[in-house]
Amino acid sequence: MAEHTDDASKPLTSLEKLSRRSFLSRAGAMGVATAAATVAPVVASAEPERPQPSGDPAAMPEIPGTIPITLKVNGETHQLRIDPRATVLDTLRETLHLTGTKKGCDHGQCGACTVHVDGRRANSCLLLAAMHQKAEITTIEGLGTPEKMHPMQAAFVEHDGYQCGYCTSGQIMSAVAMLHEPWGDADTDVKEALSGNICRCGAYPNIVAAVQSVRRHA
Amino acid sequence: MEQQTPQPITESKIVGVPTPRIDGPLKTTGTAMYSSDHHFPGLVYAWPVTATIASGTISGIDSSSAEKMPGVLAIYTHKNIGPLYRTPPSAGFSMILDERRPPLEDEIVRYYGQYVAVAIAHTVEQARAAAEAVKVTYNKTPHDTSDKLLDTPTIAGKLKEVTKRGDTAAALAGAAYKHDAVYSTPTETHNPIELHASVAVYKDGKFTLYETSQAVVNHRDVMAAMLGVPPENVQVITRFLGSGFGGKLWPWPHALLAAASARNLNRPVKLVVGRSMMFQSVGHRPAIDQRVQLAADKSGKLLAIQHDYVNHTSMLDDYDEGCAESTGFMYSCPNVLATSGLVRRNVGTPTSMRGPGAVPGLYALESAMDELATKLNIDPVQLRLLNEPEKDESTGQPFSSRHLKECLTVGAEKFGWAKRNPAVGSMKDAEGRTLGWGVAACTWIATRTDAEVNVELRQDGAARVACGTQDIGTGTYTAVAQMVAHETGLPLQRIDVVIGDSGLPPGPISGGSWATASVVPAALQAAQQARKQLLSLSTKTDGCPFKDKSVDELEFVDGVVRIKGQSSGGVPFAEILKTANVRSVSGTGKSTGLFGDPNQKFSFHSFGAQFAEVTWQPEIARLHVSRVVTVIDAGRMINPRAARNQIEGAVVMGVGMAMLEATEYDHRSGGPINASLADYIVAVNADCPNIDVTFLDYPDFNLNPLGARGVGEIGLAGIAAAITNAVHHATGIRVRNLPVRIEDLLVAPGNKTS
Ligand code: FES
Ligand code: FES
Repeated sequence: MAEHTDDASKPLTSLEKLSRRSFLSRAGAMGVATAAATVAPVVASAEPERPQPSGDPAAMPEIPGTIPITLKVNGETHQLRIDPRATVLDTLRETLHLTGTKKGCDHGQCGACTVHVDGRRANSCLLLAAMHQKAEITTIEGLGTPEKMHPMQAAFVEHDGYQCGYCTSGQIMSAVAMLHEPWGDADTDVKEALSGNICRCGAYPNIVAAVQSVRRHA
Repeated sequence: MEQQTPQPITESKIVGVPTPRIDGPLKTTGTAMYSSDHHFPGLVYAWPVTATIASGTISGIDSSSAEKMPGVLAIYTHKNIGPLYRTPPSAGFSMILDERRPPLEDEIVRYYGQYVAVAIAHTVEQARAAAEAVKVTYNKTPHDTSDKLLDTPTIAGKLKEVTKRGDTAAALAGAAYKHDAVYSTPTETHNPIELHASVAVYKDGKFTLYETSQAVVNHRDVMAAMLGVPPENVQVITRFLGSGFGGKLWPWPHALLAAASARNLNRPVKLVVGRSMMFQSVGHRPAIDQRVQLAADKSGKLLAIQHDYVNHTSMLDDYDEGCAESTGFMYSCPNVLATSGLVRRNVGTPTSMRGPGAVPGLYALESAMDELATKLNIDPVQLRLLNEPEKDESTGQPFSSRHLKECLTVGAEKFGWAKRNPAVGSMKDAEGRTLGWGVAACTWIATRTDAEVNVELRQDGAARVACGTQDIGTGTYTAVAQMVAHETGLPLQRIDVVIGDSGLPPGPISGGSWATASVVPAALQAAQQARKQLLSLSTKTDGCPFKDKSVDELEFVDGVVRIKGQSSGGVPFAEILKTANVRSVSGTGKSTGLFGDPNQKFSFHSFGAQFAEVTWQPEIARLHVSRVVTVIDAGRMINPRAARNQIEGAVVMGVGMAMLEATEYDHRSGGPINASLADYIVAVNADCPNIDVTFLDYPDFNLNPLGARGVGEIGLAGIAAAITNAVHHATGIRVRNLPVRIEDLLVAPGNKTS
């Protein structure tokens, strides 16, 4: 994020520090913190360096058994080497480090991994990355940022449509896709449409409220 | 450092105000960092090999072909994992874990799914393929996963007395009205959507562990002990937790597999526990049988309560569910006896699951109360009102704050209970579906544990508050910010909350619903100390208008230092720090807990009433929970918005407990057979009833100056009983073996197939 510079005079909340993006620009060369450095201050500095989430295959050590692929995510084309068995989900998370998409079951049963593939929602744990080289994949990161949220993201904040937040990326991706699907206006339509996205925290009433507020203003 | 009885804080511009979570924008944009989101250069992946028998010994492990597979770095077994130790006995909230045996300690297998090896490779796919290629042979011995528990041999050989007063046997023998039944609840699995995970980084003898932990400080202590290094060589970090419901309170063996592998290979290792493994080796609520006997006189006054429960535990560890936690104080009754027993089964070690003890215990007790009400022909709300105690009759202590009667009457009013026709199957909705209405009371412990908090006021105009506690979805980030905002007058955006790191001042576990209540006194005190230091600095700083004033003449209001009572002439604290060239002033607050203190003056509990409506369509055997009214007496809500969400979520989980959830063991293999989210059914959005939550507003100032107790668990207590009581009202079928299955209802009157 451009606004997160190393200007020490600009306060940055620890929550901002916990966000991957600000971390990348601020926490630079801290290296792996030793446990001896655990005395309270500047805890964000205990975050070790993260690699850039970009696919420069030349910079990557070649892993035996991997293959080169191209993957288009959030409008950006990435050249990657992946295990041929890698799912879109694991490729997003482990190779591209786009960790906003979550894994809750790896079996198409929970919806935490929901992304958009060519505009439609899909469980990314059920898709092989090598077979989606032509697809336009959109993840939660492609929807908005903390500073510039998509209306659905803002509605989830406003309506407290989560607790732990782990199912939230999937809920939001499903909800955004639902806006373009043929559903009725009722709350029960939302409940049905989002029943493939388990929220074990049970924030369902607030999720429905958030989605309905966006649908009403859409 | 324990403060004197602090002044109750009754007024606040921020505490008690519904507040959007400060971490919301991170959670909704995928930028909040959960443990398995961390990545490091050179990181490799671990995938465990799990036992396919439930009892026996490993006769051989052949990893020769797995080791030659592409990308594989190592296969560790009990022969080469390296040193892992058991923990010394726990003290307070340190050194707690439920499965005490380190993974791969020896060749003995005691439950299906126990880790027997772990494969490490460059990619997660390679690690998984290698794990599947490891050939393990066993000498099998007979296993026992039976869910018949009562009247089977207990570990102690007899039932242990948990609470006792009066002469229950005599009272039961002589009473005119009696009830005696056994209630069974199955193994339940927490199933947080975030899989348990560890990312272990090892360097120069030191471990940085990104864990899925509800208790980072204890996790640090346990991991250090088991890895055999001093605690200062281990740092445990959980920035965000994809919830845990108790399942992530204490460390589980996979964390040791990751840390030991990182140590052995000297590179970062990520291990994400698979969903099926989550049914095996990260705890569960045990299967429980409870026999409840009640006796009453004609008027409905309780004469005796006997509550005997037996829960399963694993072969090595003694986990006691504690079902009689509330039996001794819930109602006024002269004769009470509760006993417990543990039986060994070849299952993974059980652990606390949301509302341990009270949740299954109240399912049994509140079902029994409903059955008694039917026998007495008394309204079930009335029966509870009739037996309201004046004090905690199990300890003799006064209740700090108990408004169960009001919960029941307010709930009855909101629900429309007065319109209830008690005759089974007599009520219909507009579509002609049969309605069932049920009620249950509930309670959950309130307490505080030790907490330490540091507050810094910084030259950049922000405050930083640090505490080694966690936010598991309950809203701790926001609640802590609200406490400091209250005390300093700073807006939430200028409060930087740092939690989820064992290197911070030790904070409470995120369990027992007491994290918030525990942090309150220490957070307020820390902010007050920081303010004192700021005022003192103001009087000592050249160029500051308050130089040489006395501290007593000054005050700190809305981020500004000024002469007491003078609204003009104030100086923002950041300016004072700049003038003094001091980066920050800080204060530490430390509070001693009440948990387990035998001398506490009050009996601290939250209370509530649950009213449930089910609709029943006998023609198609369709049962649905349509409506829940819940009234909660849990002190003051620091953030009512997040608190309501907690209660609603607990109701949703209660729908699952009552109607859907059970881990089924295949008694032939001993393994949980429905170990997936398709086969272990949890409530989805379409299952969610209309939920109406009311909080009674009785701040509990005996607990802390903000009067906050906690709401993580109480919402789940009583809900299963309210639903099964409603099911009985609709169908005439009393289900005493959760969850309610359609098969149970096929014999219901009006069902065409019966
Ligand atoms: S992780 Fe893909 S549906 Fe659960
Ligand atoms: S917010 Fe925790 S699973 Fe949905």
